[in-house]
Amino acid sequence: MTALLVVLTVGLCVALSVLVVGLRERRRLSQHLDRVANRAAGTVALVSRSPVAAVRRVEAVLAQQDAQQQSRETVQRLEAALEALEIGVVLVDGSGAVVYCNSAASWYRDGRHGEAVIAQKIDDLIVVARDGKRVSETVALYGPPRRVLFVSAIPLVTAGEAVGAIALIHDVTELEHSNTIRRDFVTNISHELRTPIGAVSLLAETLIDETDPEVINSLGKRLLVESQRLSRAVSDLLELSRIEHSGSSEFALVAIQKVIREAHDRVRAAASQSGIAITVEVPALELYVRGDRRQLISAVFNLLDNGIKFSNPEGGAVTVAVSEINGRMAIVVADNGIGIPRQDLDRVFERFYRVDRGRSRTSGGTGLGLAMVRHIVANHAGHVVVESTEGEGTTFRIELPVAPPESSSDASEVAASSGESTEP
Amino acid sequence: MTEELRKTYHEELESIRETIVRMAGLVGETIPRGTESFLAGDLAEAQQIIEGDDAIDAMSVELEERCYQVLALQQPMASDLRAITTALWMNAEIERSGDLMANIAQATRRVYGSQVGPRIRGLIAQMAEEASRLFRLAIDSYAEGNSGLAVALDDIDDRLDELHLDAIAAIFESNREQDLDLQVGVQLALVCRFYERIGDHAVNMGERVRYMVDGWLPEHSGALRAQARATESGGDGQQLG
Repeated sequence: MTALLVVLTVGLCVALSVLVVGLRERRRLSQHLDRVANRAAGTVALVSRSPVAAVRRVEAVLAQQDAQQQSRETVQRLEAALEALEIGVVLVDGSGAVVYCNSAASWYRDGRHGEAVIAQKIDDLIVVARDGKRVSETVALYGPPRRVLFVSAIPLVTAGEAVGAIALIHDVTELEHSNTIRRDFVTNISHELRTPIGAVSLLAETLIDETDPEVINSLGKRLLVESQRLSRAVSDLLELSRIEHSGSSEFALVAIQKVIREAHDRVRAAASQSGIAITVEVPALELYVRGDRRQLISAVFNLLDNGIKFSNPEGGAVTVAVSEINGRMAIVVADNGIGIPRQDLDRVFERFYRVDRGRSRTSGGTGLGLAMVRHIVANHAGHVVVESTEGEGTTFRIELPVAPPESSSDASEVAASSGESTEP
Repeated sequence: MTEELRKTYHEELESIRETIVRMAGLVGETIPRGTESFLAGDLAEAQQIIEGDDAIDAMSVELEERCYQVLALQQPMASDLRAITTALWMNAEIERSGDLMANIAQATRRVYGSQVGPRIRGLIAQMAEEASRLFRLAIDSYAEGNSGLAVALDDIDDRLDELHLDAIAAIFESNREQDLDLQVGVQLALVCRFYERIGDHAVNMGERVRYMVDGWLPEHSGALRAQARATESGGDGQQLG
C-alpha cells in the first residue's frame, strides 16, 4: 500500500515536473518567436497566446516583408526607368505637391533663366491637368542657347479618382530646326528656280509678237541673262549633289598652298573690279591634306567669292590665312564687310538660304556656295565655323586634318609657290 | 492666398526667392527675343513682348504684396530681414528691366520700315548680348548668394558702357552721312540707352545681393565721404551725418 502511494507520489511529481518544464519551454518558444516577429516587424512588445499563434505571426510578418520588398523593387525599377528617359518627367500628387522629378528635369526645382521659365510653364499646365484636362504647349527659349521645348501635362487617374498629374518635357530643338530647314528649302528652291523660268517664258512670249529689232535685241539679252542664271542654279545643284555623294576613294595628297593660289586666281578679276584687296598668308612650310583637289579649290573659292560680294566696295579687304596647330590645319577667310545678323548665323550653310533676299539678285549667286563648302569640308573629315558681327565683318574658319607629307608629285610644285602675296 | 498662408515662414521665404528667379527668367528671355524682333522689324513679336510685360508687372505686384505680408506678419530679423528687403529691391529692378525691353519693343514700331546700317545693327546686337549676360549674371549671383560675382558686375558693365558710346557715335556718323533720318536716329539712341540701363539695373542687383550676403550698402561709402568732407570743412560748413 505504502509502496503504491510512493510510486503514485513519485509518478505525480515526475508528471508535474514534466508539465512545468513543458509549459516553460512552450512559453520560452513562444517568447522567442515573438521576439523574432517583433524585431522583423518593428513592433515593440506584442505577445502571442501560443507557439502556433507565434509561428503564424512570424509567417505573416515574413509574407508582409516579402510583399514590401517586392513593391520596393517595383518602385526602384520604375524609378530607374523614369531616370533613363531622355524626356523630363515631373510628378505631382493629389494635393499638387511635387513628389518626383527625374534627372532630365532635375532643373525643375532650382533652374534659372530659361529653365525657370519652363518650370513656371510646367506649374501652370499642371494646374489645368489637375482639373482633369490634358494640355500641352510648345515654348521657344531664346537662350543662349536657343531651345524649343514641348511641355505636356496629363491628369493621373486610378480607379476613377484623380491622384495627381504628370508633366512631360520634350526637347524638340533639333526637330523644329530640321522642320524649318525643310520648309524653307522648298520655298527657296521654288523661288530660285521658278523666278528665272517665269522670266524666260514671259520674255519669250513678248518676243514672239515683237517686230522692233531694238526691242528684240534687248529682250534677247535679258532672256540670255535669265537662262544663264537658271543654268547656274542647276549646275550648282548638280555639283552639290555630286559632292554629297562623292566618297574618299579618289583622294590624293593635295598641297594646300596650291589650292589657295588657284582659288585666289579665280577671284582675282572680280576682286580688282570691285576694288577689294585680297591678302594671302600661307606658312613657308608646305602643308598637305588628303582629299579632292577640285573640291578643296571650290571650297576656298566660294568663301573668297562670298567675302568679295559682301565687302564694301572701295576699302573692302579679304584675308585668307593658313595655319597649323597639333595636326589640324586652319584655313581662315575673313572680310570686313557688312556681316551676318546673329539669327541667320547658324543657317547660312543651308542650301539656298539667303540673309537678304533683296541683295541676292544683284550679287548674282545661287545661294549654294556655302552649302557646298560645308559638304566639301565634311567630306574631308573637317568642319567649318562662322563668326560674324554686323557692320564689322565675317570670318569663316575651315579645319582639316593635316596629312603627313609623303613623297608626292605636288611637293616640288608647291615649294616654289609658297610665301606671301598681296594683291589689290 | 490661403495656400500661401499655410506655408511655413521659411517655405515662404524660399518661395519668394524662387518666384524672383522665375520672373527674372521671363524678363531675361525678352532681352534676346526683343532684340531679334527689333532688328528684324517683326511687329507681331514686338506686340507679344509688350503684352507679355503686363503679365510680368502683375507677377511683380503680387510678389511685392507677399514680401510686405512676411514683413508685417512674421517680423523677420537679421539675414531673413535682409533677404526680404533684397527681394523687394530685386523685384523692382527686374520689373524695370522688363519695362525697358517693352520700350524697345515699342521702338520697333517707330523705326519700322527705315533702313539701319549694318554697323549700328551690329552694335545693337552686341549691346543686347552684353545686357543679357549682365542680367543673367546678376540673377546667378542672387540665386547662389554669390557676393564675389555681385562685386564683379560693376566692372563687367564697363564693356556695355563702351558699346553704348560707340553706338551713339555710329548713329551720329550715319546721320551726318545722310544715311539715317534724325527721328530714327533718336529712336536708335534711345534703344541703346535702354540696353545700357538694363546693365545698370544688373549692377544695382549686384549691390543688393552684396547687401543680402554681407550686409554691405553702396550708399555707406558715399555717406562716409560726405561725412569726411563735412568734418574737413570745419564748423562753418553744414554738418552732415
